[in-house]
Amino acid sequence: MKNALWNASLLAGKVDARTMRLFWLILTLTLFVLGAGAPGSDGGHAT
Amino acid sequence: MILLLAVVAGLAAGFIRASIAGRRLAVPTLSATWLVLVGFLPQWLAFFFPPVRERISGAIASAGLVSSQILLLLFVWLNRRQPGFWALGLGLGLNLLVIALNGGWMPISPETLQRMYPGRPADSWVLGQRLGASKDVIMAVADTRLAWLADRFVLPSWSPYQVAFSLGDVIIAVGAFLLTWSLGGNKGGQHDTQRI
Repeated sequence: MKNALWNASLLAGKVDARTMRLFWLILTLTLFVLGAGAPGSDGGHAT
Repeated sequence: MILLLAVVAGLAAGFIRASIAGRRLAVPTLSATWLVLVGFLPQWLAFFFPPVRERISGAIASAGLVSSQILLLLFVWLNRRQPGFWALGLGLGLNLLVIALNGGWMPISPETLQRMYPGRPADSWVLGQRLGASKDVIMAVADTRLAWLADRFVLPSWSPYQVAFSLGDVIIAVGAFLLTWSLGGNKGGQHDTQRI
């Protein structure tokens, strides 16, 4: 999936490989913290 | 939300750090990033995707949470030499430990909920009930294993968004900040980084 996204973006000529690396790092870290963290909220229903 | 703030703050700090030093960003090459995608998928279905979230049982959701976090822990181990990963792994490990010891859910006490929502009657919190669509279950402190690792910290009352978080969450936020802060550092000569 990473390679597919990567190649599609590069082929589109919109971003270079280095920018893609930064984008992929941010996406990976974002998904990681969402999965690793466990903050508790009822989504505002109690307020 | 609070964990994403750490990512944003670290990125901003990393950009500023690199700009001041006149450097380009140094992006580390992470191993096995597919583990994060695969590992997050069960949680996305169980907690973030309403059509599935509203249909699956609590047992399946909690099993998905634990198995997901085990995969994320494996990802951390494979990247343990990267900046901030010691904190990402420690925080995740603490969260996984307290979740695994308390039936597959992150415990949160009625007392913590009362601090989050002071206007709500104290007896309105039902022990054993899930807290909204979150990973939390309401448990009495006396019945909670390793209660000091549970969601027990809250944001100040003036904050427009109320959320409880654990010690593990705090350490994960530190790790996320350290990793993104390191992008502005001076380790560009290493083989596993590339300057942007």
